[in-house]
Amino acid sequence: MIRKTQFIIFFMVLLCLLVSGCGSQKTSQNEWDGTLKISLRADPPRLDPCYSAAVVDRFVFQGLFDKLVDLDSTGKIVPMLAESWDISSDGLVYTLHLRHDVKFHDGTDFNADAVVFNINEGRKKESNRKSELTFVNDVKALNDDTVQITLKKPFSPFMSVLTDRAGMIRSPEAVKKYGVDFARHPVGTGPFVFVDRLKGDSITLEKNPNYWGKGDKAPKAQRIIYKIIEDPNIALVNLKSGQIDFADYLPFNQIESYKTDPVFTVSDEPTLGFSGFYLNIKKDTFADTRVRKAIELLIDRDAIVKVALSGVATPGRTAYAPMSFAWTDFDKPHKPDIAQARQLLQEAGKDQGLSFSICTDTNPINGTLVQMLQKMMRDGGIDMQIEKYDFGTLLAKGKKGSFDALMVSWSGRIDPDQNIYTWLYSDSSNNYCKYNNPEFDQILDEARVSLDMDKRKALYSQASEILDRDIPYVFLYHAHNLYGMRRDVKGYVPSPDGMVKPVSMYKSTD
Amino acid sequence: MENNRTRRQSVMRMICARFIRDRQAMVGAVLVCILVLTALSASVIAPFDPIFGQNYDMVLQNPGTGSYMLGTDELGRDTFSRLVYGSRFTLAAAVIPVAFAMIIGIPIGVYAGYKGGFMDQWVIMRVVDAFQAFPSLILALALAAVLGGGFTNAMIAIGIGFLPNFIRITRSQVMSVRNLDYIQASKSVGCSDLSIAVFHILPNILPILLVQMTLSMASAVIAEAGLSYMGIGASPEQPSWGSMLRISQGYLSVQPWMAVWPGISISAIVLGFNLFGDGLRRAIDSKVRH
Amino acid sequence: MRNLVFRLVSAIPVLILVSVMVFSLLHLLPGDPATAILGNEASPEAIAALNEKLGMNKPIIVQYGDWVYNLFHGNLGNSMVDNTPVTKLIAQRLPATLELTVGAFVVAIIIALPSGILSAARPGTWIDHVCTFISMLGMSIPHFWLGMMMILFFAVKLGLLPASGYVSLTQDPVANMEAMIMPMIATGFRQSAVLMRMVRSSMLDVMNADYIRTAVAKGLSERAVLVGQALRNAMIPVVTTSGLLIASLLGGLVITETIFSIPGFGKLMIDSVFRRDFTTVQGSILIVAVFVIIVNIIVDVLYTFIDPRIKLDKEDK
Repeated sequence: MIRKTQFIIFFMVLLCLLVSGCGSQKTSQNEWDGTLKISLRADPPRLDPCYSAAVVDRFVFQGLFDKLVDLDSTGKIVPMLAESWDISSDGLVYTLHLRHDVKFHDGTDFNADAVVFNINEGRKKESNRKSELTFVNDVKALNDDTVQITLKKPFSPFMSVLTDRAGMIRSPEAVKKYGVDFARHPVGTGPFVFVDRLKGDSITLEKNPNYWGKGDKAPKAQRIIYKIIEDPNIALVNLKSGQIDFADYLPFNQIESYKTDPVFTVSDEPTLGFSGFYLNIKKDTFADTRVRKAIELLIDRDAIVKVALSGVATPGRTAYAPMSFAWTDFDKPHKPDIAQARQLLQEAGKDQGLSFSICTDTNPINGTLVQMLQKMMRDGGIDMQIEKYDFGTLLAKGKKGSFDALMVSWSGRIDPDQNIYTWLYSDSSNNYCKYNNPEFDQILDEARVSLDMDKRKALYSQASEILDRDIPYVFLYHAHNLYGMRRDVKGYVPSPDGMVKPVSMYKSTD
Repeated sequence: MENNRTRRQSVMRMICARFIRDRQAMVGAVLVCILVLTALSASVIAPFDPIFGQNYDMVLQNPGTGSYMLGTDELGRDTFSRLVYGSRFTLAAAVIPVAFAMIIGIPIGVYAGYKGGFMDQWVIMRVVDAFQAFPSLILALALAAVLGGGFTNAMIAIGIGFLPNFIRITRSQVMSVRNLDYIQASKSVGCSDLSIAVFHILPNILPILLVQMTLSMASAVIAEAGLSYMGIGASPEQPSWGSMLRISQGYLSVQPWMAVWPGISISAIVLGFNLFGDGLRRAIDSKVRH
Repeated sequence: MRNLVFRLVSAIPVLILVSVMVFSLLHLLPGDPATAILGNEASPEAIAALNEKLGMNKPIIVQYGDWVYNLFHGNLGNSMVDNTPVTKLIAQRLPATLELTVGAFVVAIIIALPSGILSAARPGTWIDHVCTFISMLGMSIPHFWLGMMMILFFAVKLGLLPASGYVSLTQDPVANMEAMIMPMIATGFRQSAVLMRMVRSSMLDVMNADYIRTAVAKGLSERAVLVGQALRNAMIPVVTTSGLLIASLLGGLVITETIFSIPGFGKLMIDSVFRRDFTTVQGSILIVAVFVIIVNIIVDVLYTFIDPRIKLDKEDK
């Protein structure tokens, strides 16, 4: 009898300990244990800057890899691994002067040879950076701290390219050692070192004790855990409960409630990207420019941003987002003009029975958006059908050109050329609609060669006007990132490319 | 011959009488009828346009706001109207896959059960096994994508997933009747296999197949909802209850009612089919047992 | 015995068929792995290079042959996305699914056993009707909708449980339970429906059997009879049905894992299909198939061994 009661008491005590144990886990947040938990909306497929193709990879790279140059919060290019650089007057020779106090996570030295190695790897056929480095003719180490890159033609976006993956320097030793498996043992020079990864669940980084950045530039967190949370609703719940400190993706439709939340704040950040849909010029339906323009005139972009995106986006009708230097007022869209649209359709002889289908992916926001488009088309007498595909199928259709209209968006890069060239230049890889306009091509070619910012801006404005006339692609809006962070997370600095840089972030309750 | 037919007719009558007396079965029948009637008269019942009745000033309203009985969705459309039109998709989801599976599966099952032999043991049944070893959602999803996406293809994909079951059940039923006296008699008289199959075997196994049909319809509705949930099937503007459910999850914190109505509807209709099928089975079983 | 041998031998063509099916289905899907993996931000050369590396340009027969050859050497291949061995991927993701399966099954038993026995003990009474109706509901309510409603109620409205955020059992059992309890209940409720009917009908059958009637006539209390004879014998078809249920869960938890964001095996499969990660899908499906076949064989053998009388009710699915 006594034994039984003793057992029950023992069990109850154990239960209480267990419960209080997890309770105290939550209250001990008052003292920061040095861990910063950031959510990622997808599992990075490949943690190797040379082969990476997904935006989420870039998130994790911010902690692991330094770049040759970086972007500051205004979009200016600033030194990182390269302390300074010279560009020859003909724009062909770039000389980068590198830092000499930098070591890779595996202890090997960072030097010019490492940079040469990385850039040459990037130029290889299988590399995903090949198209970004396609103008590189030759790269060599002049000495331990100096790299000279010679281009085939002047290419003004080049320094911008080096602020992203093409400029991320991996340890040559590690690359040689792991080869294809480098993605599972990424070694860079960044403020954090790769520790572990559980596929589909989390990636853990630890502070790099030998990081070259000192003082303000030194990493403040002891550990960064990237938790993969695909559903923004779940990210929200986790943010509220403190299971993550920083959410990379929150549901837009609850933004009103975020603004008054006691536990976290949000950062609504414009990106450099654009979203919209291609019109397949090869199809008879869209051969006439008037038809395409009419479609564009029917669209109420403000309504789309308000209803489908809950206001978390900037309506636009060019490829350039407000933060790009090529942006002008022209980007601000006009109100829809149904009468004008109908008239154009009539002139083109397509005011009766015009019908086409639009292909979209499974993203719910796009689903809502495309239904709004459907109604807007109907108001103009056009019958639009919606076809939904998984992303792989959608891309395949795009590349094959087997579509009428296709929704596709671009996350955006700092240099305007990177926002337009592969998308609309004739025969370019992402030019699914097969837009072919020599005048337009010439403008782009000129713009990418010139180093004069004002001249480039003027050229890109011209390009935008042509696109607004020809409408091979209907630009709808420039996306925003909606990041959430708990109120005790400090030191976060928004970056124009939307990257979350963990080096400066920490938690403090003051 | 004549005797068989009249015997079958009186058996049918007995089954029907039993069914009608069964309360749960009748509830199921009523629910199914409601589905069919709603689907047929959707344009009359629904007060608003389910696709184009968008009103951006009235998004995500609660049930009872204005004339929106069950509230509105993210584009300001009347949920009730969408539900009503969605019943068409539900009906299609119940009918298309099952019809497909029956039209193809039953003949195969009859052949396998009647003829037996190598074809049956080593080909047909092995193929059936292989299909059933596949996770059903993945199979349906992949098939739907291969067929080209969209609602009808998704329904066919679900139907293909139902084939093994129909083949199996038909086959086992056929095997249990093929040794009956009068079948043997017909055979010895010289009736062709085909006529035996159609005129003698099929009518005998029909009741069980009907039960399986209604139960499969229940499964099909859930399968459609599941596929829609994963993003395959009806295109976004079509108010299939499954896709309404899918969209509603994104608004769970903002307008939870959006998730409630499609779910209740699906549950009710699936319950209806299940009760119907169960009642049918009871009505037939009692004939067998007593 | 001869039956067992036949079943084992007939499993071979089934596995071959499954391998051919999964292989051809994947290759019929629109799009190719490289495009799906690299996305629309990749250059055509990178895509072509990756496709070449993945062997996509070889004739289909050769690709199939390569894969089967590797299979015979115990090698399921590497994921096309990041080269992780498929076996390692699956091993990483199985625990969550297994936990969910076991938990759901436990929930199903907790619901089905008492209600099934009760219904069988008091057939035709209101208890029977209520229990049967609840099991009907279990079969009719989509388990993912039930999951959504649970999330709505317990997580959104009451804030009691997290809407997701899977934590592994070894890491933090309490947090793990908090995250898993809702999906377990949502799935378990559905499973309990089939199980409950099985329990009820097999108990009814057994209780009407002669040897039970004899026992009751001899004067044993009803409870003793129930617990003693009926239950034990009734459990046999229940065990076999359970086996089949568990087998079906291995591939059937895809939606649950998606709703609750659990990094399990089902989610691995579906994500891999969307990403066109052929090798992972092929390996996973093969493992599921092997598992299902083995469970089916065990169940069938159990059937014939234990009680030939039970064969009558086998068609009750």
